[in-house]
Amino acid sequence: MTNAPTDHGSRWLDAQLHLLDRQVLDAAGVPVAVVDDLELSDVLTGEDLPVGTPPPVITALLSGPVLGTRIFGGRPPQSRLHRTPWALVSEVGVVISLAIRGETTDLTWTERWVRDHIIGRLPGGRHDPERKKRGDSATSKRGDS
Amino acid sequence: MIITDLLGARVFGPDFVGFVTDARFRLYTSSTGRPARLYGIVVSPHARSSSLGYERSDVRSPWPIAALVRSRHRGSFLVRWEDIERVDVRRVNLRPGFTRVSSQLP
Repeated sequence: MTNAPTDHGSRWLDAQLHLLDRQVLDAAGVPVAVVDDLELSDVLTGEDLPVGTPPPVITALLSGPVLGTRIFGGRPPQSRLHRTPWALVSEVGVVISLAIRGETTDLTWTERWVRDHIIGRLPGGRHDPERKKRGDSATSKRGDS
Repeated sequence: MIITDLLGARVFGPDFVGFVTDARFRLYTSSTGRPARLYGIVVSPHARSSSLGYERSDVRSPWPIAALVRSRHRGSFLVRWEDIERVDVRRVNLRPGFTRVSSQLP
């Protein structure tokens, strides 16, 4: 068996080990998704690959409802998977960081929909929580001590 | 193509040699966001499940799990992209005379 490659100028990523099931954070550090799958550039399938065929690259991180398909097999419809282009990834570590805010992607559309159509229609649901008055805060501090 | 189409596929070269347990990508620069190219596939002769990285590093703890996973994935090896002849549905064919590379992470 040949030894493992020793090119230390490169970074090596194993899909299962370093990418799949990792938490994805946006530029503000807010969790927005989990990596459920990876989309690769086109690979010729069902036919012999000519010698010298360039290797596929990761084009996007995919997130979606995969629990059922992991248990029972198959794959969710393409329309149910959210794509995060690989070019937006800024760092891969314990978590995967994006270079953009989550609100600009489709990853958090359900949260935005609930915010706009349900939470926003509740009384007091369209503004930040009111701050305590300074006097109340001082009183409570004295009370604590 | 998505990566889960590849993971778990049976690998033949020309006889059955194992299952795809992982795919290794190479970033030619430390800055991510750059293209991550498929370098090869990790093939396990005995198990289709993930090896949790035990056979690719020097991790030995916790020892019961390490021993179990190492046993299930003994003989795992890496096959470079150049040695892949055909990718089919749940099946990968390797070129004649393909090279078995150590699956240890550099």
